[in-house]
Amino acid sequence: MIYLNNAATSYPKPDIVINSINNALNALPSGQFRSGGILSDDDLFSECRKKLGLVLGIKDADRIFFSSGSTEGLNQILFGLGFRADEYMTTATEHNSVLRPLFNMGSGEPVIISCDENGIVSPENIRKSLNQNIKALVINHCSNVTGAVQDMEEIGRIAKEYGLRLILDCSQSAGCMEIRIDDWNVSACAFTGHKSLMGVQGTGGFYVKKGIELKPLTYGGTGRDSRVIKYEGAYEYETGTRNAPGIAGLASALDFLLETGIDIIEKKERELTEFFVSEIKSIPGVRIYGEEIEKRGPVVSVGISGVKPSDAAYILQNGYGIVTRAGLQCAPLIHKYIGSGEDGVLRLSFSYFTSKEELEAAIDGIKDIAMSAEG
Amino acid sequence: MIIDRRRSLETCTESGWDAEDLLTDTEIDDEFVHKLKRLEGSLIYMKALKKPFFKLEYHDYVIKGIKGDLFFRMAYHKDSKYKVDEAIERLNGE
Repeated sequence: MIYLNNAATSYPKPDIVINSINNALNALPSGQFRSGGILSDDDLFSECRKKLGLVLGIKDADRIFFSSGSTEGLNQILFGLGFRADEYMTTATEHNSVLRPLFNMGSGEPVIISCDENGIVSPENIRKSLNQNIKALVINHCSNVTGAVQDMEEIGRIAKEYGLRLILDCSQSAGCMEIRIDDWNVSACAFTGHKSLMGVQGTGGFYVKKGIELKPLTYGGTGRDSRVIKYEGAYEYETGTRNAPGIAGLASALDFLLETGIDIIEKKERELTEFFVSEIKSIPGVRIYGEEIEKRGPVVSVGISGVKPSDAAYILQNGYGIVTRAGLQCAPLIHKYIGSGEDGVLRLSFSYFTSKEELEAAIDGIKDIAMSAEG
Repeated sequence: MIIDRRRSLETCTESGWDAEDLLTDTEIDDEFVHKLKRLEGSLIYMKALKKPFFKLEYHDYVIKGIKGDLFFRMAYHKDSKYKVDEAIERLNGE
């Protein structure tokens, strides 16, 4: 089976990740006190935070907190800031992990900024859409539909100029391209471990800049200050027993990424993506959503004339052994702008481990489907 | 002949529909695809593909599959689960 659904969950994982989780599960769980050379969870988590800081461009790595993934991280940030929904501005490119918290906050609706046919949000459009009520801008760094990467340099400048809290969703970009949270004036960001960071499902987290306090979404045991029951001010965001085996895996995945080099990974994935786009766009009856994107993550969405995306995905999986993903991709608003319609898109997404031969097989499959539909 | 059914691992969750995989005792052939005309809906049969694909679409259900497989998929609106029973009965009938 050829797996081209890495934007959902990356596969395969580096061996070092699998071994690390296996070792963590076979080791004695850490106790309250350090002893006998056992790495405590605090040490493990602290090391992982430092590595995340390197990948995300965050110096203040102790302001990175673990969660079950981006969705929980984004909910913590969006609800925790205490703003009303109508004080947020966000974009049509967002995933439901941003849209649903905002639209279910129960205090009006956020301002939605449109994108162009490639999924690019124009910084000028952000400026034009601002009003005095807006306190925060939430934006997806890399679209999980078209792969478009937003101009964070300029958007960060706008956030600074207007005193906005800038919240960045790094779900699709973390691990496969350069991220500079500190340089981009980002107030908070969320990331997930199971996509390009090469970790497993149920890992991820969020960062919140020093000086910004979030009202916690969850309260519970933290292993510290156990006599204190009622909190008035700052609190810890990691409650309950954390996913130590998952975080051990994530730490090893980060080792893999840092040793390989994010720039090397980005270059390889860009070459694969450019090859795929150049081949696909020459097939009659096939359209690429976001063909003109200059900077793209390893995600390409296509439409085949006369064939629903769900049917194309079914044919590819059951007829050609190629796993893709069809539909709205949990990003319901972008389709109106990119012209993909209510059935969404056929999405193919790559990883560092994807080979050119696998892409050639997918290209052949799409060519067959397009020709068959035309005939 | 359809011999068993199981909830599909790949449901149409984004559309709010459910889906089941219907298992057959022999590989799906042209005759079986032809039998789908016993059910309501428009039939598409992409014969030119390496593995031919068929789809029967009606307003509250969709049947799709690949010639040569030992199963096909039936997706249905959440209120139309009974259509799966009807389809099995009609397709298994002489």
